[in-house]
Amino acid sequence: MQITSEYLERAIEQLSKLPGTGRKSAQRIAIHLLKQNDEYALKLANAIIDLKNKVTRCSVCGNVSDSDPCKICDNPKRENGQICVVEEFNDVYIIEKTNEFRGRYHVLGGVISPMDNIGPDQLRIQDLLKRVGGNEHIDEVILALNPDAEGEATSYYVNKLLIPYEVKVTRIAYGIPMGTELEFIDEATLSRAFTSRSSF
Amino acid sequence: MRITHLELLHFRNHKKNQVDWAPHLNVITGPNGAGKTSLIDAIHYLCMSRSFVSTSDMYVTYQGESYFFLKGDFTGEIRSEFEVSCTYSRGEGKKIFVNDGPLDKLSDLIGMVPVVVLSPDDKKLTLEGPAERRSFLDSFISQISVGYLRDLIDYRRIRKQRNTLLQDYRGPQNMLQMYLEPWNKQLVETGSRIIAKRYEVLENFKEYLSRDYAMISGMNLTTGLEYQTFCEASADPKAIEEQYYKELEATFEKEVEREQTLTGPHRDEIIFYLDDFELRRFGSQGQHRLFALSLKLAQLHYYSDELDDLPIFMLDDVFGDLDLHKTGILLKALQEHSGQTFITSANPVPFEDFVTFDGNRNKFYSVVDGQITERDR
Repeated sequence: MQITSEYLERAIEQLSKLPGTGRKSAQRIAIHLLKQNDEYALKLANAIIDLKNKVTRCSVCGNVSDSDPCKICDNPKRENGQICVVEEFNDVYIIEKTNEFRGRYHVLGGVISPMDNIGPDQLRIQDLLKRVGGNEHIDEVILALNPDAEGEATSYYVNKLLIPYEVKVTRIAYGIPMGTELEFIDEATLSRAFTSRSSF
Repeated sequence: MRITHLELLHFRNHKKNQVDWAPHLNVITGPNGAGKTSLIDAIHYLCMSRSFVSTSDMYVTYQGESYFFLKGDFTGEIRSEFEVSCTYSRGEGKKIFVNDGPLDKLSDLIGMVPVVVLSPDDKKLTLEGPAERRSFLDSFISQISVGYLRDLIDYRRIRKQRNTLLQDYRGPQNMLQMYLEPWNKQLVETGSRIIAKRYEVLENFKEYLSRDYAMISGMNLTTGLEYQTFCEASADPKAIEEQYYKELEATFEKEVEREQTLTGPHRDEIIFYLDDFELRRFGSQGQHRLFALSLKLAQLHYYSDELDDLPIFMLDDVFGDLDLHKTGILLKALQEHSGQTFITSANPVPFEDFVTFDGNRNKFYSVVDGQITERDR
């Protein structure tokens, strides 16, 4: 095989490093880009550069943001008093889409996992305690971590550290997904749904 | 539950093959190494997502090929008709599809088509260490309880995290205790549920075991089974949890020293008895063989009572070991079991005395060099 364009080859190589993109898809994307006009390529390139240079982390909640503090922490209309604790910033995005929660967030930046060398000190747990003990007047901390072993361990740990602050600690309900029928639900989920049942 | 049709591509010594199965008895004969076991192993893959012979997916791929594909059509009482397929390739690993929809986790397949396998390997069950018996018990209960399987998977993960913490932690002990606490809670909760379920199932299983041992041995020896765990077992997880926490506290220093989790169902043991003698120590070769056989028959009968759909029963090359009288008893038991059964045998077995092969309800196959032919008897 003879390569006629080193530049094309280089683009393919970079693109194939993207998650979920193999060499074939990378080739398709590169050839697609090649066919577009200059303006498009420039916009894409700038978007990538801005993504790296201009996006920062909010120093209050740890969410990704263009400004510090982020728009959620800075918004006076958000209810003070409630903090929703999540694992990563994409969880904020998911919860925001529901329009259900009007409080503020706290992004831990991971969960406790000794196997991955992540202990409580590697997470933004101390920052959370500072917020709860500070002048934000927090009266409820909502734990919205994944219901797996690591998420459970982290929830347990955070809850324990919050006890001295005498703040209400809640967790999002576990149970039956919408649109599912009871007979298709496994016992573990169903028994969990029973223990965390709520009044009608 | 039964399989009506099977397709194999690059699986063990079958390059490309397909078979229509009979709803009741399927007897597969042929010389050693012809591909008899491969056929039922393929069915096992579609029930349990793995081989019952080999430990690696790579080893069951046809020599010189990089992937295999299996597909089976199943029918049952609860789900009328469905298709399970399994693909494996060296690069992409293993995937299972049910009616063309991919399963998120391989473990989602377990229990869909319950299966019981009798094979020459079964003698390990009573002869070898406790890990063999735990794995028998785990696969036994997982097929009838999704919750149990889920707890097992969680427990393994929690224990691994906890062990890593014990191994890697350098610092004051009181801090370690605090770091362990979130894992302890989950270890105790899932571990207690596992023990309670094991206890409950084994309590019921005892009766099945003694009935089937009596039937197959024709002797009046009483079988016994003792489930051993670190505490007093009970069917109530809450009763175990309390003892579990105490034991964790009592063994904390030892755990720190040994750098691993020392308390829990991963160290359970089952002791088998014949009359008052411990089988593992005092059993003869023949007693071991019959005991293993009755364990599997008891599993079959337990499933048949417990589940709405009858399990698939596979007997891989077990008739060579049995005398004529025992063969007769076993075949009679198979006749009475109305579910689907697969038998592989290299030696001729006097099936004709017990079964009529009408080519409809019961079928007779011969396999030579990976070629399958249905034969009239």
